[in-house]
Amino acid sequence: MTNYIGKAVKRVEDKRFITGKGRYTDDIILPGMTHAYIVRSPYAHARISSVDTSAAEAIEGVVKVFTGKDIAESGINGIPTGWQVNFKNGDTMKEPPHPLLVSDKARYMGDAVAIVIAESREIARDAGDMVEVEYEELPAVADAKKATEAGAPLVHDDAPNNMCFDWELGNPKAEVDEAMSKAHHITTLEFVNQRVIPNAIEPRSAIGHFEESSDKYTLYTTSQNPHLTRLLMCAFVLGIPEHKVRVVAPDVGGGFGSKIFHYAEEALVIWCSQRLKRPVKWTADRSEAFMTDAHGRDHVTKAEMGFDKDGKIMGLRVKTYANLGAYLSTFAPCVPTWLHGTLMQGLYTTPKINVDVTGVFTHTVMVDAYRGAGRPEATYLLERLMDTAALEMKIDPAELRRKNFIPAFDGVKQAGYQTQVALQYDSGNYQGVLKRALEMVGYEKFREEQKAARKDGKLLGIGFSTYIEACGIAPSAVVGALGARAGLYEVGQVRVQPTGKVSVYTGSHSHGQGHETTFAQVVADRLGIPMDDVEIIHGDSESVAFGMGTYGSRSLAVGGSAIVKSLDKIIEKGAKIAAHKLEASEEDLEFAEGKWTVKGTDKSVGFGDVALTAYVPHNYPAGLEPGLDFSSFYDPANFTYPFGAHIAIVEVDQDTGKVSLKRFIAVDDVGNVINPMIVDGQIHGGLAQGIGQALLEGAVYDENGQLINGSYMDYTMPRADDLPSFEIDRQVTPCPHNPLGVKGAGEAGTIGSTPAVVNAVMDALSPFGIKNLEMPLTPERVWRAMNS
Amino acid sequence: MHLTGTHKFNASTDKIWSKLMDVNTLERITPGVSKLEEIGTDQYKAIAEVKMGPVSGSFSGNLNVLDKQEPRSFVLNIKQNSKIGNVAADVKIELQPLSEHETQLSFDGKANMSGLLARTGQRVMSGVANTLSKQFFKALEEELANSTSQEV
Repeated sequence: MTNYIGKAVKRVEDKRFITGKGRYTDDIILPGMTHAYIVRSPYAHARISSVDTSAAEAIEGVVKVFTGKDIAESGINGIPTGWQVNFKNGDTMKEPPHPLLVSDKARYMGDAVAIVIAESREIARDAGDMVEVEYEELPAVADAKKATEAGAPLVHDDAPNNMCFDWELGNPKAEVDEAMSKAHHITTLEFVNQRVIPNAIEPRSAIGHFEESSDKYTLYTTSQNPHLTRLLMCAFVLGIPEHKVRVVAPDVGGGFGSKIFHYAEEALVIWCSQRLKRPVKWTADRSEAFMTDAHGRDHVTKAEMGFDKDGKIMGLRVKTYANLGAYLSTFAPCVPTWLHGTLMQGLYTTPKINVDVTGVFTHTVMVDAYRGAGRPEATYLLERLMDTAALEMKIDPAELRRKNFIPAFDGVKQAGYQTQVALQYDSGNYQGVLKRALEMVGYEKFREEQKAARKDGKLLGIGFSTYIEACGIAPSAVVGALGARAGLYEVGQVRVQPTGKVSVYTGSHSHGQGHETTFAQVVADRLGIPMDDVEIIHGDSESVAFGMGTYGSRSLAVGGSAIVKSLDKIIEKGAKIAAHKLEASEEDLEFAEGKWTVKGTDKSVGFGDVALTAYVPHNYPAGLEPGLDFSSFYDPANFTYPFGAHIAIVEVDQDTGKVSLKRFIAVDDVGNVINPMIVDGQIHGGLAQGIGQALLEGAVYDENGQLINGSYMDYTMPRADDLPSFEIDRQVTPCPHNPLGVKGAGEAGTIGSTPAVVNAVMDALSPFGIKNLEMPLTPERVWRAMNS
Repeated sequence: MHLTGTHKFNASTDKIWSKLMDVNTLERITPGVSKLEEIGTDQYKAIAEVKMGPVSGSFSGNLNVLDKQEPRSFVLNIKQNSKIGNVAADVKIELQPLSEHETQLSFDGKANMSGLLARTGQRVMSGVANTLSKQFFKALEEELANSTSQEV
């Protein structure tokens, strides 16, 4: 009946998902509900001369139109950011206001100008077209590096050169310069880590419901972290008391980071509902999602790595311009700095590292965390440097990595590894994953095939990526010191019902990750009860005490650990009740298979009996409180550090430039695994997203700041026929500092895969002397490179 | 978006010029245009229904004829707004006499689009522009042929 951990238990949530019975925000219909449509700027940068709502308000069925002026006059605040990064000189970053509706200026194509509330979605939309906004178009800038140049149009008047912050981490630049000056060889790459659009299958949606009778508000929203949204919205934007606000994030169809952030639409529907005394629903259409969901990546980088003559890394110097978009989204300042710069050690013993990042405002939609968040950009940078250096120095890329790997350490007998860039890795065995991946790919044999293929005019290539990520985000004291404006613990409550059935309330939110299964496996195993007796409840601030939500591969490592803490308390209290019932001493009991047994005897009492006794305490230990219900906060001691080795094999068609991904091998070490099927699924999905960035995806803004591929006609998502059957395996190096020994698996695939694919294409193109091409590696781009 | 193209007409430069400057003719033959009204010297107000790939819309706005070098060239300055986005363009139109009865018309310019038009229509836009210009030239040819036959 027990031993669920490690088993590929089928997902309990899938019953409702695959039968079409999921309940998403847009499925919710409330009595008297109105529908909102948001009028958005068609220009990336424009002065708003006037907004005339009279024609729209004259339409039958229109309840009200609010404009930026109404918002400004109401005195409420704009959308806050949750992380502060300072300038190198200590000045606070520029944090311009982000009003719910703009009244003076639109700063990106899609900036919200007015909101139309009507009896139906269709009427709201039609009326939206009748809102007459007079714009005076102004010059715009979409490119992060160009935005910092003299004469570039300013996004915010009080942010000179469009700089939000400049920031550095690692060893002093002079020390790194000195190390680099002694290098035998320096590999330099200048590249763009292009902007990608998250494309969750469910577009964002929000319903605001103000109930005048009780003075209470409910927000239903597509969020990865309802409690964080409630905190930000109540305390920073609307100034309404938190205890009067319930935030529900029901079933959510994917987030990939884009639903972490507190968006203006959430506060808007609450504000409108309060004014109109009716529920207000807003749901984005796909086009709106393209233009208003926070995007990911968008770095312009120059990176240099110095080597001695044997291929040992001597130093790393990085300069990055990170596009933040027009306003600061919730975690925007943190992504290119503390989630990017801190990963520059990679798996290597690089002795001197300096990373310098400038955060830049542009006339584009906000950029924030997207699956991997900062870590894919860091990994791309390091792993592209490694394969390029291997080519330049004529050292085998696998060998170059082996020469530079940090030796294995378990974090228990051997200490954690202190990097040059603030982090201390918990445990790792980097040689192990590469060795396994090389075995799986049949490396030596492949190199021979590659030689033979080249003779036949076939362009085969192999690319490596050995990555590390910092997950299980994060120790509150550490992130607080780094500028976070929130703690990053998690809350887990275990309520044993009188009948022995168990309700678990977690602050982690599941929107595809399968918490309802994985968490139930942990609880059932620890309590020795059937999984069917466990229900996982998440996503409702009224039932879950508190939570910091799901992102940074933190759910199991942090949220799961909080539940384990509560389970420990349940078992500890249960032992007191069991001892009383068995007339034995607590120390003489052992708990296994769902019962407390007096050691060395067959005298035992079951979990169900103990639970019932806790709620019917007729014969009960003196002084012990009734009930069996514990809540715990878990604040991790460190980040977790999953790692792995990915290898891609590609063939490039010389006539068309088309890249075919022939094989993809991923050996990941995510620590202990609770449900291997779910972890496999996470890895597969992550790989598809990372490969998508390498070969297919990329948001394109023209020189006027217009997003010109804002639909599925032009924005290419990875599809099944773009991908091979993945060959995946795992190594297990348990995390030494959390009770489950887990490290997190949600982002590994995305972080590791992108550079492996690009490296493979560069290897295939090496006969042409091509060293670097910008992503996505479309047939046109590859063909032009071969033919120039 | 770059707009460029040429077309050869069997008519004199003067004749084409006069057709291109005649508001009634243009209103009749320009694809999608439902109304063209002169509001000042070389200034017109236009209303057009245009379908561009996945998006269609009702456009209104102004046309200005600038830098007139009769009968050889002018610049057409277009500002058209719609609910699906706005278009602003400057297009230089040149008439090159090839012989007494033959004229080469060429145009060259740049159009900037915004909003939904830019986001979803961009890829098909040059194809649409090409089709519209071909329709226009064909209609102009017919117009020229009719007026020639009437003259004879």
